[in-house]
Amino acid sequence: MAIKQRLLYLSGQSMDPRSPAISQALHEPIEGTIVEIDPTAKGLDYATVHDAVVDGWRIVHFPDQRGSVYDSDVEVIGFQFILEKLEEFND
Amino acid sequence: MTSSETGYLLNDDQVADFIINGYHIVKPSFSKNFHSDVYTALEGLPTNPGDAVNDAVPALDQIYTHPSVVGALSSLLGSDYTMAEHRHCHRNHPGTRSQMWHQDNLNIPMLEDGHGRVPDHVRSVLVMYYPQNVEANMGPTALIPGSHLFTSAPDRNASQGNFRDQIIATVDAGSLLILHYDIWHAGTANTSDKVRYMVKYLFERSTESEDPSWDHDSSQDTRILDRLEKDEAAALQRSLVSKRNYLRTKMWNNLAGSARLEYEYRDKWAGAWPQPVK
Repeated sequence: MAIKQRLLYLSGQSMDPRSPAISQALHEPIEGTIVEIDPTAKGLDYATVHDAVVDGWRIVHFPDQRGSVYDSDVEVIGFQFILEKLEEFND
Repeated sequence: MTSSETGYLLNDDQVADFIINGYHIVKPSFSKNFHSDVYTALEGLPTNPGDAVNDAVPALDQIYTHPSVVGALSSLLGSDYTMAEHRHCHRNHPGTRSQMWHQDNLNIPMLEDGHGRVPDHVRSVLVMYYPQNVEANMGPTALIPGSHLFTSAPDRNASQGNFRDQIIATVDAGSLLILHYDIWHAGTANTSDKVRYMVKYLFERSTESEDPSWDHDSSQDTRILDRLEKDEAAALQRSLVSKRNYLRTKMWNNLAGSARLEYEYRDKWAGAWPQPVK
């Protein structure tokens, strides 16, 4: 058994952690796993970043407070929070 | 265009739907075994024929001359649209993993628009043909509705997996998915035991519109403008909403030529007072 870091990338509709979540990607600390679009998924695991925090996830990265730039050449949909959980995994 | 094709033109709401969401699905009617025969022919190809897939499977030509397909493409690209030389047969076998969200490459010589994204017009569309039913576990195409209006940053999209409002194109055999060229999309994982084929084509606009090339009714203009301002595609940050609405209206006007939408002030706020929250 070893303590490992699970990472959850959650993008919110605003920088408010209670704003609706738009997208998610879960990175498990397991060799060989990748993050994929799951076409069988029914919605996201959490409705908001705050819901994930209530479930024990800890925010380790907050979105850039400068926000999005209207005339930017590229757009990223949503404001990304990165959260972690430290859990025991069998190696 | 013949009168039989005219009957398959899109209406105002269908064109608005395409502008708002970036996709439209057509299902041309063919004989019972047509699509399964195409599937069998694709299964029999020893190698990927690339741009020569129609030479290898001539039945594919029939799909793109079907009036329902011609009608939809004429509505979006004008009746003098062209089919690009480039096409590709995607063979998604069991065990294929998901792609990342992406906009298709711009390095295709047939594109004549300076190889830039075109978020305010329909200059080219992708058409994806599926000769078999596509279930959720067979690697269906995923897309983010409304994303064709924005230029993605692929390296940052790499950290995004499922979107709340993503569309998973689980479709019946013979369906064609018409996509704005710039829509964010991805092939997903095939966890089934079946091969999923998709043959992708590129169609391009030849001339600018002088008049709407679809079944247009100008009496609907106010309602259509309202839809372009209010209809949601996928959730996105508020700071992009005004840009989204501007691009939607500009796209409609570029398609409509002389029948452009004119903004007129109207009082949106008169009516009942808001009620106390209980």
